[in-house]
Amino acid sequence: MDQLKELTGVIENSYVTAARAAGRKIVGYSCLSTPREVLDAAGIFPYRIKALGRAETEMADAYLSRFNCGFCRACLQLGLDGTYDFLDGIIETNGCDHLRGMFENWQYAAPRPFFHYIRVPHLVDQDSLEWFREEIELFIAATNKHFGAGIDDQKLQAAIDLQDKIAAAMRLIYESRFNNEIKVFGHEIIALSVAEGSLPAPDFLDLLKTFTGELEARRPLDCRARLFMGGAATDEIELIAELEQLGGLVTADSFCFGGRFFLREASAREPVKRLAEMYLNNLLCPRMFMSYPGRKAYIVDLIAKSKADGAVLFHNKFCDLHGIENVKLKMDLEKEGLPVLLLEKEYGAGADIGRMKTRVQAFLEQLKR
Amino acid sequence: MNNLNGTGKAQTTGLFSRVHGLFSVLKKLPDSLSAEELEGLIKVLPADSANSMKSLLKPSIQQASMPFLRMLIAALDETKAAKEQGYKVVLAPFNFPPEIIHAFDKLVPITTEVLTTLGVISLEGQGERYWELAMGLGLPDHLCSANTIDLGSMLSGMDFEPDAIISGCIGSCDVNSKTHEFVSLLMDLPQIALEKPPDNTERGFSFFKKNYYKMIRQLEELAGEELNDEKLRAVAIKVNRCTELYHDLWEMKKLVPCPVPGIFSLFVCATRFSMWGRDEGIKTLEQCLEVAKLNFKSDDYGSREEKARVLWIYLSYYYDLVKFYDWMEEHKISNMGDALQWAFPEPLDLTSRETILDGMIRSAWNNVMTRQMGAASMSQRWIEDIVYIIREWGVNGAIYCGHHSCKQTWSVFSITRNEVLKRTGVPTLGLQGDSWIRSMTPMSVIQEEVDQFVNNVINKRGRRKRRRTAGAAEL
Amino acid sequence: MFYGGIDVGSLTAQAVVLKDNSIYSFQSIPVKPNPVDSAAAVIEGALRDKGLTLKDLSFCVSTGYGREQIQKEGLAGENMSEISCHGKGAWWILPRVRTVIDIGGQDAKVIRVDQDGELVNFVMNDKCAAGTGRFLDVMSKTLGVTVEEIGPLSFSARQVIEMSSRCSIFCETEVHHYLQRGAGLADLAAGINRTMAGRVMALVRRVGIEKEVTMTGGVAKNPAVRRELEKAMGLKMLTYNVDSQLVGALGAALIARRLEEVKS
Repeated sequence: MDQLKELTGVIENSYVTAARAAGRKIVGYSCLSTPREVLDAAGIFPYRIKALGRAETEMADAYLSRFNCGFCRACLQLGLDGTYDFLDGIIETNGCDHLRGMFENWQYAAPRPFFHYIRVPHLVDQDSLEWFREEIELFIAATNKHFGAGIDDQKLQAAIDLQDKIAAAMRLIYESRFNNEIKVFGHEIIALSVAEGSLPAPDFLDLLKTFTGELEARRPLDCRARLFMGGAATDEIELIAELEQLGGLVTADSFCFGGRFFLREASAREPVKRLAEMYLNNLLCPRMFMSYPGRKAYIVDLIAKSKADGAVLFHNKFCDLHGIENVKLKMDLEKEGLPVLLLEKEYGAGADIGRMKTRVQAFLEQLKR
Repeated sequence: MNNLNGTGKAQTTGLFSRVHGLFSVLKKLPDSLSAEELEGLIKVLPADSANSMKSLLKPSIQQASMPFLRMLIAALDETKAAKEQGYKVVLAPFNFPPEIIHAFDKLVPITTEVLTTLGVISLEGQGERYWELAMGLGLPDHLCSANTIDLGSMLSGMDFEPDAIISGCIGSCDVNSKTHEFVSLLMDLPQIALEKPPDNTERGFSFFKKNYYKMIRQLEELAGEELNDEKLRAVAIKVNRCTELYHDLWEMKKLVPCPVPGIFSLFVCATRFSMWGRDEGIKTLEQCLEVAKLNFKSDDYGSREEKARVLWIYLSYYYDLVKFYDWMEEHKISNMGDALQWAFPEPLDLTSRETILDGMIRSAWNNVMTRQMGAASMSQRWIEDIVYIIREWGVNGAIYCGHHSCKQTWSVFSITRNEVLKRTGVPTLGLQGDSWIRSMTPMSVIQEEVDQFVNNVINKRGRRKRRRTAGAAEL
Repeated sequence: MFYGGIDVGSLTAQAVVLKDNSIYSFQSIPVKPNPVDSAAAVIEGALRDKGLTLKDLSFCVSTGYGREQIQKEGLAGENMSEISCHGKGAWWILPRVRTVIDIGGQDAKVIRVDQDGELVNFVMNDKCAAGTGRFLDVMSKTLGVTVEEIGPLSFSARQVIEMSSRCSIFCETEVHHYLQRGAGLADLAAGINRTMAGRVMALVRRVGIEKEVTMTGGVAKNPAVRRELEKAMGLKMLTYNVDSQLVGALGAALIARRLEEVKS
């Protein structure tokens, strides 16, 4: 799909160009805990910060260190070299220590006109939800103040409704792989997730409708084995595509750019409360503490539904959150009888693809596929 | 869960048991050792312990190091005895102030990083075997050895098991928090989470306070006792004495040359992490102050050479006390200590239970790492603290030890180094290594770099004017 | 029927030809810059020795570097990971083996196989030189001996001079430092071999051991590393008469035979 190719191939895509030409503001965010509906309601184009697998980090390495996550360094690089100059602002969230460092260095070296920090709790309980609700109010107030946005409950609700439609459309595509016939690659799901943060929401909904239509006409894919993939913050579509060429197709995932972004269960009706619940309760990320059992249960359920033959869990080198939790998850999945491969990788390193392929190939051989 | 080394060979005992056993031998030492007695002791100890004792029991600091060692032994003894007495042991990371736990009769605190450091300085192989055990589980090697060494030992199933784990770094250190959570999940131990939001305002403090009170309730449930006002007050009085001594030592560090031995940074932080608010902690700090005063009053004090006053702006190196602390002393480098001693304690208001707890919560809020890396901006608070200390103590060189696992400080080290130079003119040397595992960067390389930094950077920038403060001279 | 296996490593390429469940022919050559050229040279060399050509092979499997390109160029009908191939090859030689420690020029792997030689679990290090043949290579040069000598040399050590660093670069500096102080070559060799084994043990622990255990790859020829590993594991590893560097290619040839049998 050409549109998807463009959205996953360049940072400053045609939607960005069009938005700038129309005088529309564009604000960058990184973490899935960012309630993007606030920006949508403000008429701002929310752009999810990413690096699309690029490995150059010379400028970023003068700020972040070699002991910091390659994804964050790659994103910072693009912030420093001017690629992200189209952003009128950035939203920081305390996703992890590396991400916090990325945002601090970005604002230090190449500050954007608008900067706001959403402090996301690491626990889910009533106090945390209330804190997060207040944070969202502060986010709204800051956005209104800087951009004269006039965000109100009505606009927020409209934005929520649109994101709900997107999530439903995305879920259909995602779960189509749970059938016996698989028509969509795992790397395409990642591509869609990457695209989701690269164009305005209404346009993304249209893209999903087009994609769904094209899907129906496809022939089923050859599948040597069904794999669940999880872990790392990675927008490296190429990497997953190369791995799928070995014949093991990704039928479910828990990637940050992947199967996490359309989880939206919440019971509150009032928009800000609903956003707080939605974004905190469904943050399927090891940055959340005291909630591993829930994440594990979700993943086990996903594996069962997607009929996965095995699981591959990635972490980017120096990512402690995924690196540690993957080990626990591996132990637990193996107890359920599922073979698991743990992979540590460098972000964006072409050389790493060969190493990853050797291991995944061996894993498929181990699965006797 | 047993024998996780995967080799089929039986493990002996875990880190805690081995450290406790070794330190129990030291219990039998007299209050002071002559040089010959020390030499004799060193001859009978295994090489790694002997090396550490050579430094720790040096005659010039023995007056402080003996109570320090006895303090650690008391902490280990209490932990060992806890189960027999029906008490519960709570394992917490270093940035969690233990005095609240000391205020319970039936709870005993023990600190992960203190255990690791004791293992590293005293055990044959320096506790690396426990790191290897953790790696054997598939954990990545970019975890922090400070807690993974001790936790690796616990995961082996051959070590003592705490009754609960406090995850006290949520918001200030991902790797520390996640490693503790991993252990609690694997060992099926209750986990008590204390989260600090990255928010410096009173709103942030209120949220932290709520979390702290929730933690107290969980501790009460664990202990099967309510937090007693009298006991709390009794501990608070001793906490205040520790605070007073801390600030007295702080003042001594302003003197030129610095009369406070560099290794006292280790003594102070170990006290803060384990026995703050306890008689043993008070005695340790009192004797540290006495030694510093004796140094200040000694005949040759005024003529002592001081090539540089170096501040370790985060961690330093703990795997070779001789080649680190003693080496700097021999090379006339005043080691002004590392950030682990930056507790910034304030006296507790003893008026009521609420004021005492409020003070303890503020201490936890301002404790090392929580205060800097848990702030809204990791670099801003860290820089402010470094600049403040540089000015307070007349520091003319800063060193970032570069412990590889400190992802948060590494992520803002560049900003910090630039700003410290801009604001104070003090240069910062950046090193790389592992503060607890010697096999990553040899101490000889660290020494070489520090030496070059002192001789070719600090000294070439000129010496700062010697000064003495009136306040310190009265001590 | 003849079956071929091609294994292109970082330093050498191997080929094995199977006939009637025995090794009919084999060859080992230094690698060329292009893995396809290495593959062509080594398999043709192994076949030529017995008056055969590629056409005589019923099926061939490639493994190691460039295995996919080798297959695409028509030299092999299928490619398999070197992990499976080493496991299978070692198992065929020693049917009781369940754990294979393969240490090559630039990587190290620990492989667990089942009673049929099929892959059960594995772990691999191909990023860090410590724990691979490269480490021994560098250290041998520093000592002024050959890589073949560094193993036997340590048997005459009076003591083991332990390396304090896990990093090859620091180790090299450390060795220089000891040499300047007059340390014995044998003592240093003993320390180097122990360090090597220590790094490999880190991989072993991740996978766990099931007896019997054996070694493959070039470093299997180092008796000192073997002995250190045996000490660390508390067991004796099985030995065999086939060149340890051929095991990967042998495994590939065995898999070639199985694939052909399944097809037919």
